[in-house]
Amino acid sequence: MEGVFQTDRVKYLKDKMLSEPRYASIEQALIITDSYKRHEDQPRIIQRALALKASLEKIKISAEPEELIVGNRTAGVRYGVVFPESGSTWVDKEFETLPTRPQDKFHVHPEDIETFRKEIKPYWEGKSLEDVLNERYGKEINEISKVVKINQKDHAQGHICPNCVTWLKLGPAGLQEQAREKLTSCSEEQRNFYESVVLVMEGVRNFMLRYHDLMMELSEDQDDEAKKESMICVAKNCKKLSQHPAETFHEAVQSIWFLFVVLQMESNASSFSPGRLDRHLISYYENDIKEERITKQDALEIIECMWLKFNEIVYMRNSHGAKYFAGFPIGFNIAVGGQDELGNDYSNDLSFLFLEAQKHLGLPQPNLSVRLHEGTGDDLLFEAVRVVSKGSGMPQFFNDKAVIPSVMELGIEEKDAMDYAIVGCVELTTQGNNLGWSDSAMFNLNKALEAAMTGGICLLTGEKIAPDYGSLETYETFEELEDAFQKQIDYFMDKMILACEEVEKAHIDLLPSPFLSASIDDCMERGIDVTAGGAKYNLSGIQMIQVANLADSLAAVKQMVYDDKKIEPERLLHALKTNFEGDEVMRTMLLNKVPKYGNDVDWVDAMGTKWAEYFKNRLRTFKNYRGGPYHTGMYTVSAHVPMGENVGASPDGRYAGEPLADGGMSPVYGRDMKGPTAVLKSVSKLDKNLTTNGGLLNMKFLPEFFKNESGIRKFAGFLRSFVDLEIPHIQFNVVRREDLIAAKKNPEQYRGLTVRVAGYTAYFTELADELQNEIIARTSYGDI
Amino acid sequence: MKGTIFDIRRFSTHDGDGIRTTVFFKGCPLSCVWCQNPEGISLRRRPLYFENRCIHCKMCAAKSVNGGMKCRGDTMLMNIDASEDWEYLAELCPSGAIAMDSREYSVKEVMEEIRKDMVFYRHGGGVTLSGGEPLLQWEFALEILEQCKKEGIHTAIETSLYAEQEVLGKLLPYLDLIFADFKIMDGERHIKYVGVPNPKIKENIRYLLESEKKDQVIIRTPMIPGLTAYRDNLTKIAGYISRIYPDVSYEILNYNPLAEAKYHLIGKEFCFAENPEMYSKSQMREFESWARQGGVSNTIMEI
Repeated sequence: MEGVFQTDRVKYLKDKMLSEPRYASIEQALIITDSYKRHEDQPRIIQRALALKASLEKIKISAEPEELIVGNRTAGVRYGVVFPESGSTWVDKEFETLPTRPQDKFHVHPEDIETFRKEIKPYWEGKSLEDVLNERYGKEINEISKVVKINQKDHAQGHICPNCVTWLKLGPAGLQEQAREKLTSCSEEQRNFYESVVLVMEGVRNFMLRYHDLMMELSEDQDDEAKKESMICVAKNCKKLSQHPAETFHEAVQSIWFLFVVLQMESNASSFSPGRLDRHLISYYENDIKEERITKQDALEIIECMWLKFNEIVYMRNSHGAKYFAGFPIGFNIAVGGQDELGNDYSNDLSFLFLEAQKHLGLPQPNLSVRLHEGTGDDLLFEAVRVVSKGSGMPQFFNDKAVIPSVMELGIEEKDAMDYAIVGCVELTTQGNNLGWSDSAMFNLNKALEAAMTGGICLLTGEKIAPDYGSLETYETFEELEDAFQKQIDYFMDKMILACEEVEKAHIDLLPSPFLSASIDDCMERGIDVTAGGAKYNLSGIQMIQVANLADSLAAVKQMVYDDKKIEPERLLHALKTNFEGDEVMRTMLLNKVPKYGNDVDWVDAMGTKWAEYFKNRLRTFKNYRGGPYHTGMYTVSAHVPMGENVGASPDGRYAGEPLADGGMSPVYGRDMKGPTAVLKSVSKLDKNLTTNGGLLNMKFLPEFFKNESGIRKFAGFLRSFVDLEIPHIQFNVVRREDLIAAKKNPEQYRGLTVRVAGYTAYFTELADELQNEIIARTSYGDI
Repeated sequence: MKGTIFDIRRFSTHDGDGIRTTVFFKGCPLSCVWCQNPEGISLRRRPLYFENRCIHCKMCAAKSVNGGMKCRGDTMLMNIDASEDWEYLAELCPSGAIAMDSREYSVKEVMEEIRKDMVFYRHGGGVTLSGGEPLLQWEFALEILEQCKKEGIHTAIETSLYAEQEVLGKLLPYLDLIFADFKIMDGERHIKYVGVPNPKIKENIRYLLESEKKDQVIIRTPMIPGLTAYRDNLTKIAGYISRIYPDVSYEILNYNPLAEAKYHLIGKEFCFAENPEMYSKSQMREFESWARQGGVSNTIMEI
């Protein structure tokens, strides 16, 4: 974008933020515990409201004098918050290892451990979500855990897009007023709900005022007049927002940020997402531009200050969870572009300023998404590709042509479908009216196949984990194997549904969320908490893990064992049990002599789509505890690694414990040998209705691809074809030198990685050593 | 009709506009000492051995009847001149370390492969015929081009133009973009380094640049250190083509040191004992200035 730049203020704040150490914090846990102790006789929703109010009024706050947007849930930045209502047993077990665990480390103040064990842990024993659920249904959840990972067992539900428009229009004062009005005529059952809303909004208003006071206080010591003025301006914004809705762009951005800070303080959950923020904020921006209150440059600076804030909240998971969701993703997803409710192409100045902010900052948050459709303008598309070429992996792209019709098929009204957004990574949602439970559970289809091949025995431990519906030793035909596989899916799906219901019940009982409910339609109208089904839409999403490996394994068994009879079934079973020890030739054949998913080979791709369809269709026959539908997604964050650790050697030639395919729709590493267009074609065979909860396609490109405008143009054309193919999602990693070095070391995982050699493109792993070195040497961002 | 093809590469992005599928025709009448696709020169099908892929199971050596595959310690040796059923050995090889360098395709089979990426051609891509020299199997090339045009697919060719003008005339109506090499102006040096005389090439360039498709032609010279990349060569080539058509597009291709890799693969000797490096941006700009002195104004370079 011409004529705008990153200011020194932003650079300073960014460096400051990144240099701060990351600590685990028990401060809010102490406040919450104290509040519960003092209100033991109150109903749970009031207890929750009082605990949040106390946190908002008592938690230590801080701000940088340079900040244009203020507010955080701890005084330090990027702190991991201990949250006893949802779960503290894991914290007790893992507190000492937080600084040293392999993934998502946090520093710890040793005295905190002691305080935690003396004052927090004893109170919550048997009372937290984690403990209650464990007591009620832990055994059953554990029994299916090899195949089904049930989520939200020790933390509140996130993955929600609050109604930012209502929030901006009403603010905490307006919502409090609304709840008070409701109280004059509500039923007895609704009373606690509305009272809890009044309480939390009071807390929020006080929280905002505290930031006003803090900034005023800081400004008093300030000699620099410009700085002083900026701080007073920020202070005034906070005070105004505590009493009135936002009017200016600066106020609106501050208001949005407060919304997300408070949502985090109430729930400490992953992925509350602003959604289509370019639409939400445009009227404030345009008005300010018209009134000459701000320039485009001013707006960009405010946006970048908000972008930094999105990086100041991280999410501390237990060590197991951190493996599945590595890098403490917090999932502030912002969508730009797309269409308006009439189907017209939509983008505005803010869409471009958001991309510009991402280009400048290159930070992990917010998770920036661009909605594409057939009518997306070249200006937005090209700009987005230029940002991709910078290598941060953002923005990612979503496809209106796939998403809108598929979520409508699920029962979403057209106007809501047209206005869809993304929560967290790639989970699809309507805005402001949906409790999507998009992360309900992950179903490991490959482990279910393992059970079908072994007669229900785990290849890794030899334990019985599933019923015996037959094994490779008993099936005469491939169809018999498929029948048994189907039975295994049914068996685990039924148990999964029961477990999901228990989790939901526990959330209703223990974690009602009045602040969140106030920003989700139609909870305020109906006087029902969001956890209890107050939202307009009540979905539950289950992830199918991973169809790519499943297709490859089934294709290999079908061709090598049953069609060509090159491998006897007993021999295959033996090889799987021994992790191919002494059977390297067999493994190599399974890997190389059978085509793989991702190469546009119809019969292989069909092996995956058939079972994904089966799973989806059967799942859709169930209703969740709130009365809404279950639906499917195809994504993992980093779960393909632990999910793979849990699966023994597989007929696709994969060794025991190796990761499964990454992404969700992506082919297995190194098995896509026909290039990116073949990958897209294979993926497009997965019907869009399979991914109403979100799909994830990861692709890698070398930076040289984006070296000039012709490369940018070709890439834009590639994305237009992605739209035509009705694939829901795609994201790009630009291959770095480190990737190439890794490819040199582990060629098998990178066999599909191509580089331009001489007259055409060659596979990197097949090049001679010195040439690999040469390519490594020339691969850098300096070229872009 | 069948053609010998050594690769059909989807998602080619360097051989014309947009996302393309490039069909590599085997066989070339030229024998440039620096050839970037040396495996494409001979028309004969032959096996290749990819050492990186080999798991040393030695099954090939056990089944080899005339010593085509042997093992010496842990090293496998391929003798391509031995009489073997190479297709069988390639099929047998579990890792794909033994593979044929090319295969026979019918027009129908090539078209099936091409059609797979139709959805990508819509946004500015198409098909490129390359090689080898596609004009060596011109009848096969012609059928593919005709079929592509029938189906509305954009077509391009990369050719040395070492062919009869009549053949070129037959293909021209079906071509949307022509990349034609003009490597060396000096006749004797052309014979020495390219292996054939150049008058036929020069005449075909004239023919193209006087045709109504002259704006769809790009003349290219690869910069090979000491062999093509010198002032006299560039100014004279530029002079020749710009006198025929002053607005001619002329592309200067940087030297690509990575070609050497393929010589290892097929056991051939590369023209440089010490592989030179790519030219820098400023060197490329100097080449461009020489071409401009020769009379070309419309130059193309990827730097």
